[in-house]
Amino acid sequence: MSEAVETQVQEEEIDLTGANEVIDKYIDMPGSLMPVLQGIQEFYGYIPEPTVHLTAERLNIYTSQIYGVLTFYSQFHMKPRGKYIIRVCMGTACHVKGAVRIGDTIENRLGIGHAETTEDLKFTVEHVACIGACGMAPVIMVNEGTYGSLTVQKTDEVIDKYKNMD
Amino acid sequence: MVNLTIDGKQITVPKTATIYEAAKDNGIHIPVLCYAKKLLPYGACRICLVEVEQMKGRLIPSCTTPVTEGMVVTTTSEEIVKVRKTVLEFLLVNHVVECPVCDKAGECDLQDLTYEYEVVTNRFKGEKFDLPTDEVNPLIERNMNRCVLCGKCVRVCDEVVGYGSYSFINRGFETKIATAFDRGLNCEFCGQCVSMCPVGALLPRPFKFKARPWQLKEVDTVCGYCGNGCTVTLGLLDKKIETIRFNDKIGVNDGNLCVRGRFGYSYVNSEDRLTKPLVRKNDQLVEVEWDEALQAVADGFVKAQEGKGVGVLSGARLTNEELFLLKNLAKTIGTGSLDHSGGECYKGVTEGLFETLGVKASTATFPQIENSDVVLAIRNDFYDTHPVVGMVINQAIRRNNAQLLVVADKRGKLSKLPRAKTLLSGPGLELDVLNGLSQIMLEEGLAKTDGVEGVKPLKQALADFTPDKVAARTGVDADALRDAARQLAGAERAAIMLAYGLPYTALSKELAVAAANLALLAGIPGREGSGIYLCGEKANSQGAIDLGILPAADGLGAQAMLDAAASGKLDALYVVGEDPVVSYPDRDRIEKALDQVPFLVVQDIFLSSTAAKADVVLPAASFAEKEGTFTNAERRIQRVRAGVPSPGEAKTDGAIFSMLDAKLGGSLAFTGPAAIFAEIGKDTPAYAEINFNEIGPQGVVWGGETLQPAARKLGEVTAAPLVEGEYRLVTGSALHHSGTTSTHAKGPLAVVPEAFVELSRDDAATLGIKEGDLVKVKGNGVELKLKAKVDIRMPNGVLFAPYHFKESGVNRMYKGETVIPVTISK
Repeated sequence: MSEAVETQVQEEEIDLTGANEVIDKYIDMPGSLMPVLQGIQEFYGYIPEPTVHLTAERLNIYTSQIYGVLTFYSQFHMKPRGKYIIRVCMGTACHVKGAVRIGDTIENRLGIGHAETTEDLKFTVEHVACIGACGMAPVIMVNEGTYGSLTVQKTDEVIDKYKNMD
Repeated sequence: MVNLTIDGKQITVPKTATIYEAAKDNGIHIPVLCYAKKLLPYGACRICLVEVEQMKGRLIPSCTTPVTEGMVVTTTSEEIVKVRKTVLEFLLVNHVVECPVCDKAGECDLQDLTYEYEVVTNRFKGEKFDLPTDEVNPLIERNMNRCVLCGKCVRVCDEVVGYGSYSFINRGFETKIATAFDRGLNCEFCGQCVSMCPVGALLPRPFKFKARPWQLKEVDTVCGYCGNGCTVTLGLLDKKIETIRFNDKIGVNDGNLCVRGRFGYSYVNSEDRLTKPLVRKNDQLVEVEWDEALQAVADGFVKAQEGKGVGVLSGARLTNEELFLLKNLAKTIGTGSLDHSGGECYKGVTEGLFETLGVKASTATFPQIENSDVVLAIRNDFYDTHPVVGMVINQAIRRNNAQLLVVADKRGKLSKLPRAKTLLSGPGLELDVLNGLSQIMLEEGLAKTDGVEGVKPLKQALADFTPDKVAARTGVDADALRDAARQLAGAERAAIMLAYGLPYTALSKELAVAAANLALLAGIPGREGSGIYLCGEKANSQGAIDLGILPAADGLGAQAMLDAAASGKLDALYVVGEDPVVSYPDRDRIEKALDQVPFLVVQDIFLSSTAAKADVVLPAASFAEKEGTFTNAERRIQRVRAGVPSPGEAKTDGAIFSMLDAKLGGSLAFTGPAAIFAEIGKDTPAYAEINFNEIGPQGVVWGGETLQPAARKLGEVTAAPLVEGEYRLVTGSALHHSGTTSTHAKGPLAVVPEAFVELSRDDAATLGIKEGDLVKVKGNGVELKLKAKVDIRMPNGVLFAPYHFKESGVNRMYKGETVIPVTISK
């Protein structure tokens, strides 16, 4: 039982090569948990559970502690995410200019709300605090692209654009 | 030292003290929730805020603020009370107040503080926590609706236990304490978190709805399991043990306990306890009165002694006083054939130490380990056999930056501690690694050889143990060996730890000699702050050695007795407090001996496999029903106190020995433990200066904190046999069990109910074996069916199976060798 944490159910079957490569890069660097987790997320698109156990084992950090870090930072995701991440700004300026309506529009079109992902893994929606583009309020980001001064109609067009992409 | 004023009182405290500690040590009360003596300062709860004149303008957390010269502290003022009340109000916003059904009520810090500060109403309103209770495991209930986020459980599991079950997860209002992936708790179940919890968030499940804390009567005694000698405080209601209470005020363990100590008490209350003497009639064991049973034993022994003789075999969980009576009873019987479990299995350990150091005990005490610079643990089982010493090692590493070196054939808990270096050898080859370390010390001129005998012969004998040769034989990297030897040699304070017990029969003397050689070369024995530790498996293993429960010159030792019994050369065997059928190596041989011996008397608390074969069974008492002393693995003689009466007509072993002695016409009067202890001193000089009634809460360490060795003679060098085979099995102790007693205790049994075979992930993948599969292990002409346990502890090709369980029959396969070549399949 003493090794129980490490041997807990690992339902997901994934190839750990990518995670191992990330860990190899940082293994001798003290305090490298954050870059390791970021690297793993970059590789897999999220942090699969088996990679957490692997990281715990190889960096000799408690699994519980890693889980604490993963749940503390909003940058980490433990479920697969969409190819396109739509960040809907809910900052003060956007809020005043109707961000809620933009969020609703996206929800109507994609059927997903905050922190949800479409079943085809194409879209993930996140409501975020200010993204620093108040002059363009209301604003959303899709991956690295920024779309400002949105209206419901413009939002529809943005979604169509990405829906038609792969 | 630093001078400061607290509440107008001038005090002087060490400069390392915090304001809280300074106040506490001087009788000034400051409330706390997140502070615990054994944990590092944390400052989470803000209940301990005080005013400091030099730091005006804000309140200062007293538990994290160090004292400074001339500091003027006020611990209570209108402002402070207001703030403390507010803190409590905040805590009570989400906290589910369900004191009437909370087992903590009556000793809950939050309840007490709410009462003390008269927080009758709350200015704040908010949602109450509504989290599911974790009831997945049988021992620890987690109700996070009562949690105040003090983090003590997180910290104790890391700082002391080194397991790391818990972490704070999420952020802000969502913050809570959880396990990895927020699942049910699945850990070592030592219950340290339960003892630390200031509220009812973590509770011992077996104690639920059993008693209110204030109803419990407390009795401090010594745990009956391993040789660590932890103080356990029995929580008694109506003469029944309902729980084990947290007690960090007395004893060697600072309130730390393992799963056995905390949850393994229930065997005392077991329905299966023997309550009446049994005598075999018409091949059936039937209940009889004491007098009839004792007469049968006396007659049987007299007859046997007139024939081929009686052999007496004792366990190592009897008190010193009882062992003394047994020794004298053997004299009354007229036999020199007296031995304890050590004779069969691990006597060599003390013999080895005696040949080299002239003593048969650890040379230092456990608290000294915490200040060690280097700790060398032999066999990773150390954490499994003596978990609380493992916790001391953990603290040495975390608090004092000690370097841990582990010489073992498998990884374990110790190997995962920070900066631990594991010299992982092939199975059963620890001996060669120790020799290798000695060789390097001598070769590189690091050895302290002043006043040490036999340096030259040792140097020659170690010619075959150069780093490269040892590396080739054991698989341990030669440079890692060199580094380890240099670290050990260079350490100002060092500890060498060797655990022994029934499942470690092979090479026990050789291993002790090699460890003693290494200790001598590193200048450890007798040096202040350093020590070589021999840690016995049972609560009074050391006592049995100190009292000399060993064969007389004309008598037979354990192995010889069993051989004699098997070949019809012994007429009676008296087995006390041991279940050799399950616990000794080579079960077939033991069974043959017990079946062959014409008259078998077994004295035990359960109808063990051994007792089932007996002609007479005498019902004995558990540790919780006895008065007397145990001597722990650091030579500390501690008081054992009776908390509960024995069930039915069961009697203490001491009382039984006295009665039997009287039947045999002896003069052994049972005059109480103090008088017997005084008698022990006549036989055992080390005990002579100790007065039973003056043994205080910390016990008395015979020979002093640092025991000076009587000799410094380097011993003979031997190499461990290389055992070939695709798969090789080693046996030993499992963390949750100790001997066979724990297999009657609900707690440990609920977590580890049966034996298992542990194997590496690679091996499991190769063999197509998954965790929990029933697998066949064949070796020594025996086939065992065991559940598979797959993890990272075992090196490839090495299997581990613990011995404790009757049904598994691991000791049918294990015949006392270091390693058993086996095959394994699904």
